[in-house]
Amino acid sequence: MYREQQITLGLFYCQNVPESREENRQALEEEFGKSLRLFPIPCSGRLEPVHLLKALERFADAAFIITCPVGACRYFEGNHRAKKRVERTRKILSDIGMEPERVGIAIGSKEAPKTLAQQAREIFREISLLGPSPVFGQE
Amino acid sequence: MPSKYAIHTLAVPHRFKSVSRSGIIAWEEGCLKCAVCVKKRCVYGVYDNRDLDPMQMIDSIDNQCMNCLRCIQGCPKELIHKSLNPEYKALGDSYWAPDIIAKLWYQAETGKIPVSGAGYPGPFSGPGFDSMWTDMSEIVRPTRDGIHGREYISTAIDLGRTTRHISFDEEKGLESGSARILDIPLPIILRTPTFGAISKDTINGWTRAAKGLGTLMALPQKMISSTPEGSAPWVIPMISPEESGAPAITEETRVAEVPWNEEVSGLVGEMEDRYPSLLMSVRLPMDHRAEERALVLAEDGVSIIHMEAAWNGVSMGGDGGFLKDGIRSVHLRLVEAGIRDEITLLSSGGIAMAEHVPKAIICGADGVFVDFPILIALECRMCRRCTKGLSCPVEIQGASPSWVASRVRNLVGAWHNQLLEVMGAMGIRDARRLRGEVGRAIFFEELDRATFGSMGQVEEGCELE
Ligand code: SF4
Repeated sequence: MYREQQITLGLFYCQNVPESREENRQALEEEFGKSLRLFPIPCSGRLEPVHLLKALERFADAAFIITCPVGACRYFEGNHRAKKRVERTRKILSDIGMEPERVGIAIGSKEAPKTLAQQAREIFREISLLGPSPVFGQE
Repeated sequence: MPSKYAIHTLAVPHRFKSVSRSGIIAWEEGCLKCAVCVKKRCVYGVYDNRDLDPMQMIDSIDNQCMNCLRCIQGCPKELIHKSLNPEYKALGDSYWAPDIIAKLWYQAETGKIPVSGAGYPGPFSGPGFDSMWTDMSEIVRPTRDGIHGREYISTAIDLGRTTRHISFDEEKGLESGSARILDIPLPIILRTPTFGAISKDTINGWTRAAKGLGTLMALPQKMISSTPEGSAPWVIPMISPEESGAPAITEETRVAEVPWNEEVSGLVGEMEDRYPSLLMSVRLPMDHRAEERALVLAEDGVSIIHMEAAWNGVSMGGDGGFLKDGIRSVHLRLVEAGIRDEITLLSSGGIAMAEHVPKAIICGADGVFVDFPILIALECRMCRRCTKGLSCPVEIQGASPSWVASRVRNLVGAWHNQLLEVMGAMGIRDARRLRGEVGRAIFFEELDRATFGSMGQVEEGCELE
């Protein structure tokens, strides 16, 4: 698979993340172009390892989830569960010999809430060190 | 009697997984591992062949779920939840609401009338067309053997102008040239929307659909080269004075459109003289001057007036008026002047649902232009990414002309059936007779004024206790 961009991020986020409405999403996509694919989900607990792994398999160099702050989940334990699932996915990645840092979670903070755009930029900074994923590297 | 006009539809699947209204959230943690899990008992089997579309991250369970909620109620540990999908809520805007978009998708896919099930949970009145209620009192009679039954309900309308009286020439023959009429089998004309990730194939498909339906497709001059060969009679070229290049009108063109300006009547006369069977339509922005301008146009002998409202049906003049009131005022003005029957009045802007067609006609239009629904029929999400140069999530530009044509055919087929239902229920068997029939509708504002108008007013000098 040939891709032009250096790094592509698949970013899932819970609908409670501040400034994560459709207009914010489009503004971010305008800024990052094809290197960012955004997936709003009703609750971060909806995320399963298969989502992250499929993203890594098909298009992403890294796949992250942004959740609402601990204790703020509408479904009580969604973000808590998302964290466990990310850990499980990381384990799978290291078992198959990939960097576990390619998946990650950003848990919102009640005291210092960050917008979707701020978090996306931080995650980009974090993953820029990783380089392109070996999944797409062989061609 | 001519053979019955019918639109034959055939299910045409989506190209992409559609955004579902709600999603299932199922926890794994805490699962009791019951011998027979509620998921296994799903009557629709949605959990069995679960599949994830990795590019859109759409889980097949959400599209297949029929909302019976058995699994949610049945799980002993209450691990399954259902939640509104944030992507669904973000579809469209306040006018092109998610439910309208989803219903248009359904109609374009199946060609069937959407049925929402028992009970109506929504409000009884709202802004725009929602403040009109149509009369359904005759629902038992004409539809006795169905809308396609023995009784013929005609949805055909005439475009063009008629004369006030017949005149004869010296040889006692009928003076010709005064009446110019084109009839189309349904009061719906297609028109390109003002945005959309469309390509030559899309335009080709839309034009094919218009031809197949026997109606017309209005296209800006520069798009006409994308229409298939031999489709000129079904195309309405929207001529813009600024645009140069090949003239868009051929001998075969039956209707053409020009935007309104002070001298437009002269141009219209010239064109109609040059092409003996051509009907000219003048596109008039809907605002507070529309009444006056329409009257002048009618007196000048223009054949068709197209009243254009904005994409959400509101006035172009920024005064907040809605299409239905705009049509009504122009229609009534022409009636008062005694020349309503000499001219055709079409309207566009904000026609989003099948019921808007009969409602616009009741307000006084002869027919309507449908624009965004023919884009939404192609799975458009009204996200407006195309207007910012972003990629279209449903790659409309890549759809084949035949797919486009069948989707639009399905949509119009479903609308036509709803029009027949509504007309049947009103006891009206000819769409031409529905025009201006305000007796077949109740206007909420009028009812509200008549019932509560005198109440709740505090007379001066009176103290409320
Ligand atoms: S889906 Fe969005 S990008 Fe595609 S045509 Fe519709 S509004 Fe434009």
